[in-house]
Amino acid sequence: MTDAISISNAQLRFGETAALDGVSLAIPQGTCFGIVGESGSGKTTLMRAVLGLQKLDQGEIRILGNPLVHSRAALKQRASFIQPIFQDPAASLSPRSRIRTLMNEVGTVLREPHAAMHERLRVILDRLGLPPGVIDKYPHEISGGQARRVAIARALLMKPSILIADEPTAGLDVSVQGDLLNLLQDIRRSDSITLVVISHNLAIVRLIAENAVVMRAGKVVEGGEVGSLFKSPREAYTRELLAAWPGVTQSGVSG
Amino acid sequence: MSGLVATLKRICLERDGRLGLAFTCLILVFALVGPLVSPDPNAIDIKARFAPPGVTHLLGTDNLGRDLMARTSVGTRYALTLAVMIVVISSVIGSLIGIVAGIAGGWVDRAVTAVFDIVNAFPPLILAFALIALYGKGSATFVLLVTVVFIPQFGRMARARAQTLRNLSFIEAERMLAVHPVTIVVRHYLPNVAGPIIVLASMNLPVVIAFEASLSFLGFGVQPPKSSLGTLIKDGFISINQSWWPTVAAALVLAIATLGATLLGEALRRVIDPKSAGVR
Repeated sequence: MTDAISISNAQLRFGETAALDGVSLAIPQGTCFGIVGESGSGKTTLMRAVLGLQKLDQGEIRILGNPLVHSRAALKQRASFIQPIFQDPAASLSPRSRIRTLMNEVGTVLREPHAAMHERLRVILDRLGLPPGVIDKYPHEISGGQARRVAIARALLMKPSILIADEPTAGLDVSVQGDLLNLLQDIRRSDSITLVVISHNLAIVRLIAENAVVMRAGKVVEGGEVGSLFKSPREAYTRELLAAWPGVTQSGVSG
Repeated sequence: MSGLVATLKRICLERDGRLGLAFTCLILVFALVGPLVSPDPNAIDIKARFAPPGVTHLLGTDNLGRDLMARTSVGTRYALTLAVMIVVISSVIGSLIGIVAGIAGGWVDRAVTAVFDIVNAFPPLILAFALIALYGKGSATFVLLVTVVFIPQFGRMARARAQTLRNLSFIEAERMLAVHPVTIVVRHYLPNVAGPIIVLASMNLPVVIAFEASLSFLGFGVQPPKSSLGTLIKDGFISINQSWWPTVAAALVLAIATLGATLLGEALRRVIDPKSAGVR
C-alpha cells in the first residue's frame, strides 16, 4: 500500500541553522505515527514542510504517493486529504469571525450544499461533545479545550485521510488531555485516518502511536515500533529523553 | 453600533478626547448648518464691503461685500468633504496594495515598496506643483494629488500588518483549507488591518485639511469664485490693512478644524491601538 506520507532526504536551513538535516521517513496509511523530540528539534518545521507551508531546500515529500507541489491547484487538491491541527488551536481560528463563518468556508471550498454541510457539522460537533450553539460564538468566547475541538471539527469537515496534530494536548488539563487522545484514536479508527502526532511529550506518543521517530537537531536519530523503541532504545539521546519523562517507563506509561 | 458607542465613551473619558470631539462636532455643525442659515456665499454687495462682524453679517464681509459666515462655512464644508474623500480613497487603495505586497512578498513586495519610496521622496508640495503642471488646477487634480501622496502611508502600515498576519496560525489554517485568497484577504486580513488604518486615517484628516488650505492659499487649489479656507485667508491677507476679520475668521476655523481632528485622532489611537500610543 502507498505510504500516507513519505519524506526522503528533507533538508532545510534557516541561515546557519539546519532545521531539517536529511530527514527520511515513511508513514503507513491508517496508522498513528508519533514524531517526538525536544523543542527546536525540527518537529514543527517538518510538519509545516509536509503541509506545504514551508519549502524544502532539498529532498522530496510525497503525500499518498503524489509529490508535494507548491501551487494553488495542488494546495486545493491537498486540502481535501491532509489537514493540520495547530499547536495553539485558539490562534488557528480567525479572531474576528464567528465559528459558523469559519465552518461555512469549508462548505464553500468543497462546494457542498449548505444544508448537507451543516448536517455533517452537527454530527461532528455531537461526536466531539460540542454544543450546537458553539458555532455562533467567536473564538475568544470558548475555552481552550473547546477551541481545540472546534479546530478538529473544522479539519474533519474537510473529510481528510491524514490528520497532523502538533502538540495536541498542549495547554490542556490532564483529564481533558485523556479525553482528547481517546477522541483522536476513535476518529482515526472509525474514519480510517492516518494520524500524525507531533509532541515533546513521550507519554502521549507512547499511549497513542504505533510507530514513532525521535528527532534531534533536524535529524531523525531513531525510529520504529513504539513498544520496542521505548523499551529498548538504541540511541543514547532516546534514553536521555525517556529518562527526562519519569512517567514513561520502558515498559509503558505510568502515572 | 455598540462598538462605536463604546469607542466614543472611551474617547470621552479623557480631556483631549472630549476637546477633540467637541471641536470636531462644532466644525461639523458649522459646515453642515452654516450654508443653510447664511446668504448666498457668492452674492456680491459692494456697498457692504469690509463690513465688520455684526448682526447682519456674523463674521463680517470681504472686499466684494460677500458674507464671510457663508463663505467660511462653505469653505469648511469643502475642506471636510475633500479630506474625508481623500482619506477614504487613499486608505482603501493603500490598504489593498499594502496587503497584497505583504502577502505576496518577493518581487511584488520590492516593487510596491520602491514605488512607495519614490512617491515619498518628493516633498508633497513639490509633487503637487508637478501634478498641477501636468493636469492643471481643480478639485479633481487636488484629489488625485493628495490621494497619491497618502497612499504610501496606508500601504506601508497595511503591508507591515499583513506580513505579521501572514505567518499567524489562523491565516495558515485558512490557506490549508484552500479558502480562496480573495476571501482570506477580505474576511481575515482586512478586519485585522482595519484598526491601525482607521487610526492613521483619523490622524491624516487634519493634515489633508491643512494641505488643501495651503494649496488654495498658493492659488493651486480651489478657484474663484468658490471659497475655501486657504483662499479666504489669502484674500483676507491681501486686504488686511482694511479689515482683519476675514483672515482671522478663516484661520480660526482652520485652527479649530485641524486641532479638533488631531486631538480626536490621537484619542482614537489611544483607544483603538494603545500599544502604538506612545510611539510618535
